[in-house]
Amino acid sequence: MGAFDTPERPRIFSGPNLLLICIVLLFCVFGIRLWYLQIYKNDFYTSRAQENRTRQSTMFSPRGIIRDRDGVLLAENTPAYALALVREDCPDIPKTLDQVSRWTGQPRDELEKVFEIGRKRVKHFDEQVIVPNIPFELVALVEAHRLDWPGLTIAVRPKRSYAYGPTLAHVLGYVARANEEELNDDPDLQLGDDVGKQGVEYVLERRLRGAKGLEEFEVDASGRVLSSRIVTQPVKGEDLSLSVSLSLQEVATKALDGRAGSVVALDADTGEILAQVSLPSYDPNEFVVGISHAKWKELLEDPEHPMQNRPVQSAYPPGSVFKLVVGGLALESGSVTPATTVFCSGSYKLGERSFRCWNKGGHGLVDFKKSLRESCDVYYYQLGERLGVNAISDYATRCGFGVRTGVELPHERSGNMPTAEWKLKRFGEKWQRGETLNYSIGQGYTQTTPLQVARFVAALVNGGKLLRPTLLATASPDVIGELPMKASTRKLILDAMVATVEEDRGTARLLRRTGIRIGGKTGTAQVVKLMDKYEKKKTQEIPYKYRDHAWLAGFAEKDGRRYVAVAMVEHGGHGGSDAGPVVAAVFDALFGVQQGN
Amino acid sequence: MFDRRLVFHINWGLVALTAILFLVGVINLYSASALRVATGIELDSYFNKQLLWGGAGLLVMSCIVLVDYRHFKAVSWPYFVLSLLLLVGVSVAGKTIYGARRWLDLGFFNLQPTELAKIAVLILGARLLARMDGRLGWVNLGKVLLVGLVPAVLVVKQPDLGSALNILLILGGMILFKGIAGGVFKVLIVVLPSTLPFGWFFLHDYQKQRILTFLDPGNDPLGAGYHIIQSQIAIGSGGFWGKGFLQGTQSQLRFLPEKHTDFAFAVFGEEWGFFGSVILLTLFCSFLYQIYIVAMEAKDDFGSYLAAGVFFYFFWQILINMGMVLGIMPVVGIPLPFISYGGSASVVNFCMIGVVLNVAMRRFVFKNA
Repeated sequence: MGAFDTPERPRIFSGPNLLLICIVLLFCVFGIRLWYLQIYKNDFYTSRAQENRTRQSTMFSPRGIIRDRDGVLLAENTPAYALALVREDCPDIPKTLDQVSRWTGQPRDELEKVFEIGRKRVKHFDEQVIVPNIPFELVALVEAHRLDWPGLTIAVRPKRSYAYGPTLAHVLGYVARANEEELNDDPDLQLGDDVGKQGVEYVLERRLRGAKGLEEFEVDASGRVLSSRIVTQPVKGEDLSLSVSLSLQEVATKALDGRAGSVVALDADTGEILAQVSLPSYDPNEFVVGISHAKWKELLEDPEHPMQNRPVQSAYPPGSVFKLVVGGLALESGSVTPATTVFCSGSYKLGERSFRCWNKGGHGLVDFKKSLRESCDVYYYQLGERLGVNAISDYATRCGFGVRTGVELPHERSGNMPTAEWKLKRFGEKWQRGETLNYSIGQGYTQTTPLQVARFVAALVNGGKLLRPTLLATASPDVIGELPMKASTRKLILDAMVATVEEDRGTARLLRRTGIRIGGKTGTAQVVKLMDKYEKKKTQEIPYKYRDHAWLAGFAEKDGRRYVAVAMVEHGGHGGSDAGPVVAAVFDALFGVQQGN
Repeated sequence: MFDRRLVFHINWGLVALTAILFLVGVINLYSASALRVATGIELDSYFNKQLLWGGAGLLVMSCIVLVDYRHFKAVSWPYFVLSLLLLVGVSVAGKTIYGARRWLDLGFFNLQPTELAKIAVLILGARLLARMDGRLGWVNLGKVLLVGLVPAVLVVKQPDLGSALNILLILGGMILFKGIAGGVFKVLIVVLPSTLPFGWFFLHDYQKQRILTFLDPGNDPLGAGYHIIQSQIAIGSGGFWGKGFLQGTQSQLRFLPEKHTDFAFAVFGEEWGFFGSVILLTLFCSFLYQIYIVAMEAKDDFGSYLAAGVFFYFFWQILINMGMVLGIMPVVGIPLPFISYGGSASVVNFCMIGVVLNVAMRRFVFKNA
């Protein structure tokens, strides 16, 4: 008798049925499950398997090096060590952060914050920098405890270093850790990357940065690397040679002698900036390692604004320097001829108001050349009367005033060449005739940057070409316009500027050097309308913040080399005596003149 | 003593399927043993060992086939008692591997008494069931269950929940095969599931963790959940045709844990894809079907229950192992017959086949018995 020959009919869940049901169920359930995993979800699991066995790591490329025109290294990369964490290799992150805090002395919760911020941005198995710039002793310590703290590694990242610190801070700018906003705007940036924040570093960021590479590793489950390949080669950042000369920069800085102000020296024919000084300055290296909050606050709140790049970011009334422009317009428009004379009695009456010349005794009969040489205000009051505000504005704008020069520096100010319309819009007031007189001697609402002045003088010298000033040595001259002046007019102006230096009555006699053709124009820009109580006092007796700004715009040529130098000393007092020596020092350096001649 | 006619009644289908499955297992083990390293491929020793175990299994199987299965009845009690003694022995003098006392060191190999106990329960169970009339009432059910419960309790203590469960499931399958009286069945249907929550308190923490992890593998991705996740990645990434022999990255780069033993099927699924997996599944089903045929055609109840017991022995292993590897059951350490590496397990598998072949080839001989 077999097991199932019993009279009772087998039930569904017992006997032979049971075994068959088991077989069918087995086949169906697992067949469906296999179909689901291997066919329906195949793409998903294929990519998971791929993720398992490959790790990608970023290959960093060094930032381009910056040199001066003589090849001196201005900004280079030095190796720096950072304490980094690889999440996937770290079995106990809180404990590890505790240890990092103990080693570095950094507050635990701050480390936690850094870690949390970065977590979302760091790829799997990539290093996340927790503490940048750690000293070498700590590197050794961490290496020695490598096995105790899996997940902690030392990341070697190039660090920017500026050998000449404050001397070139406003030209080079600096790099610092990219912030949240920059990371969001630029997909190429990774957490912990440095980006240019100011100066050339900022403007030429793209060229200096290069591109990161990507390396892919095949790894086994324990993370051992079996093979690797480079997916994308890193591209080194472009090395740049600047037009600036470190030695000239140092000379100009020294000549400013700690006073707040600007110096700009240009090659008149190429537009290359040879020196660009802004004082006071700051040390860009402090930003690279991460500036402290207190120090940052101190820099921002400093009344002398050390972070301000004065040659391009500060606009001042040009003072008498502006007479070069108004004079040019007068000649071009035919309002005066070189021979036209004006009588200066020491003041000029307009209606009920009297406008004084700086020389209270008066200049007597003044022609064009004398008007510049001795900087007679009355002569220009009369020109202003004849020309009118809008013509002056229009002409000055065509000479490059009140517009940005386009130099490779950030946050350039445009300045301001006021018109009657502008004043109405700005203040809701009508333009006064008297204001035109002020305007024609470069006071009042007129605002210009030292770089605009330098470019204008360069154009006078180089045959009328308005150039884009550049900080790059390799750039060919970028001519962006023509000075609205005939050659003869330019010659008259240049001759008058030379007379200002050469002749005994000239206001820029300080610049006189034998064997070099040097011309100049001084300027004094009023900070406030001169108050009577200071009027008769000497510069030294007036409080610093009420003292006038001193300008001197000069050019020098010899053996076919033509340079322009502009010095602007804030609250410096008088153009000739205060800004003059700075320009003289620059020219001396450029032509190799020994000091004390 | 040995009837030549027996050879003609050998179930060649079952022999062929067993041979194919063993071969597939060996080939798969070759791949599972291959580890990709920086210098190329390295082979570990599992492959050769498994061949040896296969040979040993064949030898034991041949011996079993030679002895008329009806003689098993006579030794069923002594053998059962012996296996219980061995289980007690292992808990006293057993070798501890991975924190569990499961092996007796016999010098030339490590004996796993649990495997012997499975056979003992199977034979004794078959004998008792064959003697009982009709469907099982409370008394008979109790008697049979006791045969499973005693060794199961000893095995649980090792601890080896998987094997204990396995023993009870084999016996349970045999009991269902025999049939339970209607009233008893209805009560059990209601009572058994409601006792399950109490079982929870008897589990070790790691066992609880496994069940929790099964319910949500993501909650422990580097621990217990890792197995489930990596195994599904291996199988899922195989696609339709698979990555090809020796090409499975999940196993060769060691992402797949226990790829020689419990997760061997994941290696297979990765390299041979849906196509290969369904063929293997079909092979297993045909294999079970052959055993089913033997159970149906056995000429006495004892032989029929023996075959049914072997059926469930294999069925549960296939179900639980594949279910675990495919992520639809919790991780329990149960190997896949013939595919997973394992010494004792391989030998026992062949023993079981021997028992079935034994029953099959003697189905005509004892016509008048």
